[in-house]
Amino acid sequence: MLKKGIKYTVALILLLIVGYNSVYIKKLSEVKAAAATGKFDATLYAQTFWQEKLTPGLAKANNLPELLTLLKSDKENAFKNYSHALGIGNLRYFLIKGIGKITASNENDISVTLLPDSVGQEVKLATEFVYGNAVRDALGILSINDFSNTMDMNNVSAEINKKIRTEIIPPFRAQAKKSDVVAFTGAIELNQVHLRLDEIEVIPVSLNLIQK
Amino acid sequence: MSPKVFVKEEKAQVQPPTLKAPAFSGSYSRYLVKFQSLIALFILCLIISLLSDKFLTVANGWNVMRQISVNICISVGMTLVVLTAGIDLSVGSVLALCGAITAGLLKFGIELPSQDLFIGFTLLGVVLAGLLTGTLLGTFNGWTITRFKVPPFVATLAVLTIARGLTMLYTKGFPISGLGADFAYIGTGWLLGIPVPVWISGIIVGLAVFLTNKTRLGRYIYAIGGNESAARLSGINISKVKTTVYAIAGGLAAIGGIIVTSRLDSAQPNAGISYELDAIAAVVIGGTSLSGGRGSILGTVQGAIIIGVLNNGLVLLNVSPFWQQVVKGMVILLAVIIDKANSKSE
Repeated sequence: MLKKGIKYTVALILLLIVGYNSVYIKKLSEVKAAAATGKFDATLYAQTFWQEKLTPGLAKANNLPELLTLLKSDKENAFKNYSHALGIGNLRYFLIKGIGKITASNENDISVTLLPDSVGQEVKLATEFVYGNAVRDALGILSINDFSNTMDMNNVSAEINKKIRTEIIPPFRAQAKKSDVVAFTGAIELNQVHLRLDEIEVIPVSLNLIQK
Repeated sequence: MSPKVFVKEEKAQVQPPTLKAPAFSGSYSRYLVKFQSLIALFILCLIISLLSDKFLTVANGWNVMRQISVNICISVGMTLVVLTAGIDLSVGSVLALCGAITAGLLKFGIELPSQDLFIGFTLLGVVLAGLLTGTLLGTFNGWTITRFKVPPFVATLAVLTIARGLTMLYTKGFPISGLGADFAYIGTGWLLGIPVPVWISGIIVGLAVFLTNKTRLGRYIYAIGGNESAARLSGINISKVKTTVYAIAGGLAAIGGIIVTSRLDSAQPNAGISYELDAIAAVVIGGTSLSGGRGSILGTVQGAIIIGVLNNGLVLLNVSPFWQQVVKGMVILLAVIIDKANSKSE
């Protein structure tokens, strides 16, 4: 009987020690106040990124016709020197610029033929479905270590894409007509193993009609 | 009749070499059967290393070990269950739920707005909470199987669905990420030059080998799987042993869940889907009989390594993921056929 008592007492003490080291109790109002001050603001981060890094970084954008020529002749070199990606997959992103003549205004995009005419390549400027990490990653200056978790990092992409959908595309879409010439910068996503150059879609960062 | 018998014996006595030959081939085939998993693993490694120069590297070795450590945790529990002639299909979903609860408690704690109280959990607290969840779900499996005589396949299939649903409810379908460096150490850290998940799975294997070989519970597990009626008649409390085994399997799935969540720094609501199949495959390839009573933990470890090496090799060889599933399925089928053939010959 005494042995059993000692056994239960020891078990209870152990349980209390483990319990004491397992949980802590605080005032909920204090916890919420502390969390509000340290919260990651994806909108502000995306705004700063756009103004201070992406816009100046566009000067380093690759000329799309030249890039396409290089991709056709020396794919490995093109991906190695001009593409960026945070992940380890086959999808990589290029920051590009180009001038094109609008050939069609479709429901989800606008088709343009790259100029000069000798290039003869058609690409699509995305105007409806702007998703993914192309713009965030194409510049190649963000690191996964800049964020405390992947959700914050993905929220930055979501905010950048939202800005493109709400601020960049609508004014262009309202004015653009067939045969207009547009100067654009943006990002493209290419698969380095299964490379398709006939279905290039540009996520635009800037769209300027230069000739009507 | 008797002269014929005499003649047979006489023939046998004058032909000693023919008696020795079958004895030699018998022991040879016994060795082959005993080490079939190891032989298969060796051949597999040889083939992959010939086809890919990246396979036989230290980094890839640790990578494979780190990847299979989760499957080893689950497979060890599955082995105990299968040794009792049962099956546990719920381990993948239990893994997901335990991972989600661990991550959720670590990140959000428990809020009691009416009392203006926040109950936060330390690393020890969340690990214990995850383990408790897995063990309780395993106990529930064992209870329904023994109390209501529900076939293990059906009972654990029901818990598979329940646990997945609870995971979706708890996470609202979104991943819970950003769990901190301390928690990440469980899945990504190194201790004495060896990845922490490998330490965890190694300790689990050691304890399970001890349990099956050196304890009364281990003997009862084999006895129940071998002949449940005989075990009952010899006084073994079948319900208690089976419930304990399912509870252990649930607890080990929880450990797997904690490792996966830590490695990814994120609890995914769809984590662990089809992990039960990988665990069953490791058990079967390791030579444990699905009808119970025969098999070993070390055999399962070999099975898990074979599955891990196969997965790794197919990725290194750039085989399409669709073909990977076909190849894995065929390997499992082959293992079962060999197991059946061995059982017959025995």
